[in-house]
Formats: sequence, C-alpha cells, structure tokens
Amino acid sequence: MTAELGQAAIWLSILSALWAIVFLCIGLRQRNRNAVQSGRNAVIATFVLISIATGALIFGFVTDDFSMRYVVEVSSEAQPLLYKITALWGRMSGSLLFWLWLLTVAGAVVVLQNRRASDTLSDYALIPITVVQLFFIVLVTGLIEGVYNPLARFPGGQAAPDGSGMNPLLQTPSMAFHPPTLYIGWISLTVPFAYAVGALASGRIGTDWIYRSRRWMLFSWIVLTIGITLGGNWAYRELGWGGYWAWDPVENASFMPWLLGTAYLHSVMIQEKRSMFKLWNILLITLAFQFTLLGTFITRSGIITSVHAFAQSDIGGYFLSFILASTGGVIVLIVYRWKRLKSANRLESLLSRESAFVLNNWLLVGLTLIILWGTLWPIVSEAINGQKSSVPETFFNKVVIIPGLLLLFLTGAGPIISWKKITPNNFRRMFLWPLLVGLIAGAATWLFFAVRAHSTATEAAAVNLFTQVWKFLTFSAQPMPIYSVLCVLVGVFVFVAIFSEFYRGAKLRAKRQETNFFEGLGLLIQRNKRRYGGYIIHLGIVIVYLGIMGSKGYFLLESESLKLGESMQVGDYQLTMKDTFQEERENYLRAGVVFDVHKDGEPHGTMEPARHFYYKAGQGEQDTIESAIRHFGVNDLYIALGPLPSNIGADTNVNVQAYHNPLIGIVWIGVAVMVIGGIVAIAEKYEPKPRSQIGG
Amino acid sequence: MKQRRLKIIAASAILLTAMVVLVVAGIKKTSVQYFTPADLVANADTIHRKKVQVDGVVLEGSSHWDAANFKLTFAVRNRDIEEAGKTTVNVIFADRLKPDNFMDGGSVFVEGRYDADRNLVIATKVMTKCASKYEGADNTVTESDTSYLK
Repeated sequence: MTAELGQAAIWLSILSALWAIVFLCIGLRQRNRNAVQSGRNAVIATFVLISIATGALIFGFVTDDFSMRYVVEVSSEAQPLLYKITALWGRMSGSLLFWLWLLTVAGAVVVLQNRRASDTLSDYALIPITVVQLFFIVLVTGLIEGVYNPLARFPGGQAAPDGSGMNPLLQTPSMAFHPPTLYIGWISLTVPFAYAVGALASGRIGTDWIYRSRRWMLFSWIVLTIGITLGGNWAYRELGWGGYWAWDPVENASFMPWLLGTAYLHSVMIQEKRSMFKLWNILLITLAFQFTLLGTFITRSGIITSVHAFAQSDIGGYFLSFILASTGGVIVLIVYRWKRLKSANRLESLLSRESAFVLNNWLLVGLTLIILWGTLWPIVSEAINGQKSSVPETFFNKVVIIPGLLLLFLTGAGPIISWKKITPNNFRRMFLWPLLVGLIAGAATWLFFAVRAHSTATEAAAVNLFTQVWKFLTFSAQPMPIYSVLCVLVGVFVFVAIFSEFYRGAKLRAKRQETNFFEGLGLLIQRNKRRYGGYIIHLGIVIVYLGIMGSKGYFLLESESLKLGESMQVGDYQLTMKDTFQEERENYLRAGVVFDVHKDGEPHGTMEPARHFYYKAGQGEQDTIESAIRHFGVNDLYIALGPLPSNIGADTNVNVQAYHNPLIGIVWIGVAVMVIGGIVAIAEKYEPKPRSQIGG
Repeated sequence: MKQRRLKIIAASAILLTAMVVLVVAGIKKTSVQYFTPADLVANADTIHRKKVQVDGVVLEGSSHWDAANFKLTFAVRNRDIEEAGKTTVNVIFADRLKPDNFMDGGSVFVEGRYDADRNLVIATKVMTKCASKYEGADNTVTESDTSYLK
C-alpha cells in the first residue's frame, strides 16, 4: 500500500508545485499577501508530499518489498540496514527522487527563514526553486521514457524472491555519504541562483539578494568541498589504484560547480564593497547552477565515455533542454534589467585588491572552461575533424598547473594588497617579508632536490668547480622539479602573509582590549568571522596544494608477483608475505595476505590487504580490492592485491601492487582546515542593512 | 581614464591568449585518437606506432592472466558484432594488476601504443566499466521484462 501512497503523493505534488508558481506570481504582481501566503504554503505542501514518497521508498527497502522494481535492483535481504537505506540513491530513479526531496527541503527552509518577513525577494526566489522542483517531479513520475518511477511495482502483482543487491564497491561508509553530500551541495546552489533570478525579476539588484543568498552559497561550498573530498578518499581506499583524483568526467562534473562557486564567493565581496560586477555576479551564479545540471547531462547522456559508465538514457536530452530554457530565461531577464546592472565604480589600477579579485575570477572561470573543454573534447574533436579523440589525465595535470599556481599566489596576495591601488608603503609593509621567506623556502627546496638528485646520479666526473656547481644546481640531465620549487615558494609566501595578518590583527586587538595575545586572536576572529574564516580556508588551500604536489609528483609504485615467504621493496619499505587468510563476513568472504612491514630494517607491524567476494552483486559473484593503507606520519604505504582465488592458499601466486604516497595525509588535513574555516565564516550573521552604496 | 581602460583590456587579452595557448598546446600534445577495433584495423597503416584509445568489448574466451609474470592478454571486439564483423585487436597489459571487474564479454577501454604489424596494442591503461552507482543502465530492462522474477 505504501508504494501506491508514495506514487499518489508524487502525482499530487505536480498540483502543489503548479499552485505555488501560480499563486506566488499572482500575489507578487498584485501585491496580494494572501495569495503569496497560499503560494508559500504550497511550497511546504510539496515538501510534505515528496517526503511521503521518499519515506514510502525507504519503507520498501527496510521491509524488503521485492514487488517493487527499484528495491529489487538495488537492495537484497542480506544487505545491511545502512546500505538498504543508502540504496535510495543507488541508481538513477531513486537518486532523482532523492535530489527532488532535497530541493523541496531547500524550498521549505527558504519559506521558514522568511515566514515573518514580508520580504518579497524571498518570495520571488521561491518561484525559480519551484520551477526546478517541477522539472524533477516530472522526471520521477515515470512519464519519460528511460526513467521509471522509483515507486513502481512489477506488473501483475508479481514479486522477486530476493533483490539483486547494490554494487559491492558502494557498500562502504564513505560511499554511503559521498553522493548525498554532493547532492546537498549541488542543490543548495539552486537557492542563490533563485535569489539572483528573484533579484532580476523584482528589479532589486542591489546587495540585498547577495546578503540573502551568500550564506546559502557558503553552505553549498562547504558541503561540496566535503563531498568532493569524500569521493577522492573513497576512490583512494576502495579502487586500488593508489590515487584519489583522475580527471574523470564525473569528477570534473563535481569540481566545476565548486570552482564557479568559489569565484562567486569572491566576486560578491566586490559588489558589497565597491558596488561593481552586478551583472558578472548574476552570470556567475547562473553558470554555477547550470553546471550542476550540466554535470548530470554529461554523465547521463552517454556522449562521453566515462569510466563511470553511467546508464545511457534519454534523460540527458531533458536536462539539456532544461539548461537551455532556464539560461534563456535568465538572459531575457538580464536584457530587461540591463540599465540597473551597470557598475557604480570602475577598476582604478591593475595592482589593487579589486584587480586581485578580478584575476581570481578570471582564473577560476578559466580553469572551469579548460576542464569543460577537456571533458567535452571527445565531442568537440569529432565535430571538428570527424575523428573522435580524447585527452588523458596528463592533459589536465599539465594545463592546470600554471593557473593553479597563480591562484595559489592570490590566496596570499589578495588579502594583503590594498584597495584601489597598491602603494610602495603597502608593498614594503605587507609583501616584503612573506616574499623573502618564500624565496628562502624555494631555494631550500631547490637544494633539497639537488642533493637528492646528486646522491642518486651515477656519474660524477666533473671538470671544474664551476661546472660541478652548475651541474649540481641544474640536476645534470634529470628533469628539474621547477613546479615543486614554485609550489613551495608560493605556498610559504601565502603562509607567512596570512599568518602575519592574524598576528598583526591579534596584537592590535590585544593592545586595545588590554588583554593577552591569544584572547586578542579569539576576539579578532569572533568580530570578523567571515574575513578570518576566509583566511583559514586560504591556509587550508596551501596545505592541500603541498599534499597534491607530494602525492601526485613523487609517489613510488612497485608491482610484483609473490609467494608465501617472498618479499619486495618499495622505497625504504620492505614487505614480506607472511601468511594468507580467509574470513566469512555478513554478506561477503574476505580473503587476503598478511605482510610483515619493515622500514629501513625496523619492524613496523603487519598489513593485511584483501579482496572481498560478494555473493550477491547484480550478475553473479563479484570481488573487489580492499587495499591496506598504513600511515607513516603524513606519508602512506599502500598495498593492493590482484585477482585471487577465494580459496587462497600457501602456493598461490599473489600479485601485489605497492605504493608509497608522500604527503598524501596533508591533503585530507588541508581539506579539514578549509572546512573549519568555512564553518567559522558561515557563523557570521548577515543583517541586510541600508547602505549608501546600495544601488539599483 | 582611457589609458587605464586600455591597460585593463590589454591585460585581459594577454591572459586570455595565454590560456588558449595553454589549452591548444596541451590538447595537441596529449590528445589521443579514439577507435573501435574495426576502425583501428581499417586505418592500421596510418596509426602504426601511434598512441590510441580503443573502446570495445573483451572477446569472449580470449583473455589470459599470467599471474606469475604479471601479464594480461586479451582481444577486443566491437560492441556491435553485426556491424563490425569479426575484427578484433589484441592487447597486452603488463606489470599492472588485472583491473577489477575485468571479464570476458565485459566493456573495456584500452589506452596504449598500436603495433600494426602484430595488430597489437601495448596498453598503458586498461579501464573496465567502472563500478559506478549507476552501473547497469536503468533502461536496459524494459517495463515488460520480468527476468528478475525467477
């Protein structure tokens, strides 16, 4: 019965969504409070109805209702309860329903946040939110070919004896949380977009819509940061290839809205302070929102061969149409409000904080377009010369380095450069020391690599001291680690710049309040959470950069085929195969190898990489790599096993792939710092207050 | 005022050009042509010793995993047998783990250098259909298909 109830709720929600759109439009046009209130109520009603539908599907999972097609496809009786619930987004139909549910939550939150205020801007914003909801409601009704209703039952009252189970690779905690986190991040981007549309529609293009939407944007940014990292972390631990990012189209689809969101968070500051970039901000948030849909289009339409091998279906076409239609709508509104979108001020100098913000935006948007171009290259190349080709990971790795390093420089230079125009005094006071320390660190890095290269070089026949020194500094014939040196140089510059900002501010506060330095620091952050939260994020970015440099640039990989008692070497580590094992678990069999680990001859315990053999995994038995990871400080030793028979024994030939990943630990630490900074920044309450600068 | 504007426009133009150059050079240097096995064999002469990507299906019964020497060999056929006849391309993938989900008849994506004389791709990368949450097209099963109901 519950499934039918859920289906009925979905159909009814079409009515409530239409109701909301119609009554909000009429109410706002005729300034009729009652009609507006009715529209708001309809938004809440949609939330309740979709909650019922989602609840009905979860009920189906929990009660193992195998007369429901979706339940059969992603769940099974033996599946642990957690994964029965996460099966909700296990496949397309369910994830669309989940996406829709989150959208209705966002709508309801907007209503509740402004329930007392007679704030028309939020009411305007509810209209685009509801339009997006309506699009998703239509998708989950099952009206469209290729997508069935997640609550549908098999025809004729039939039922399967058991479900086929969710893909075993997804039955891990980080996969339970990675997709919903990304969804929440994407969906909360809808709200700032809706406010932008609301601002255009109502004609209130001042800073009001930014005040109302920027906390949503920051929330979305934090959640996306977490979601993307969870995905990388999942890939690292589960997929057995020792890395966490491969520029796969699906990864890019999650990364591009993040980049655009980051650009937006910076450019709105300019609008607040200097009343510039009104049009740009609206374009940026529109783009960020469209990219969340575009990601779905890229991965769904089958136009790109992704390792994620998404289901090819017609749904891509519907997304593309919706993207085009909604972008068209925004463009019409922009043309309509063209006169009010003019900047009140102009850029005064190329070397100023405004320019730093502009450059930041250029680089972030530029990076997004580069990544988009690389992702779509298979289609573009086919259109250009009829020959399909694609770009590998190395394309992205190479192309992003220089813009990436420039961006890194800006995370330090932006906060310390003065507004309007840099002065010699500003440069001396703020830039000199960070630059000097950065240069020293860069030189030290250069020497470190030179010494390392020299110690491994085989021939050392030098003619004279000069050539010897020259050879030493230029790494003889070896490639120079120029980007690593730059990364350290710029990273240290940013660190010193940001730390001295904290130091100066805290000392000043402490002096003024006659208290000690640390209390001063606390007060400083408390009084200006957004600014200093942002600086903490910048510090996190530096840490992430250094981690990426180490783990992407300097990992070691050894592959060998071993039998019991044999050993292998990776870097300073020696691995000896000591034993094999087999264990029965809840819905799989775990088989693997015990390694004795030694570092420079010192024993460091054991590691147990394994493979999991799932009994129920779609079509027949399936096994997955369960790599073993040991942290040595921030460096990881990582072991993955090749295919094994599930009855592994003493004479089995085991294929071992062992990685040493330096500095990978600080990637996760850096992201944690970024998230902490984000939480500090979002804690600041924004009260829209009348300002002389508010235009429009 | 005018001069300042000019400066800003010039700076933007330089930045834009730099980015375009970066991307074009990057694509020229790294992009890899993409073939089905039948296309590859048909154009064998022109792509001898070039880097290629091959997208297809592991020919049923062709794969062999040499565990002692860490070597995976198999043949790739077109996804659609009807259209492509029986053209296949051999692949050798050495010194790496056999990828998860690798199986005869499964989708496979190979990247490597093509040796036309031996009709062989020496692979640097073999990707199977990834274990995505969306694996198995939702629409591969039509509404009337009740094969689940054994």
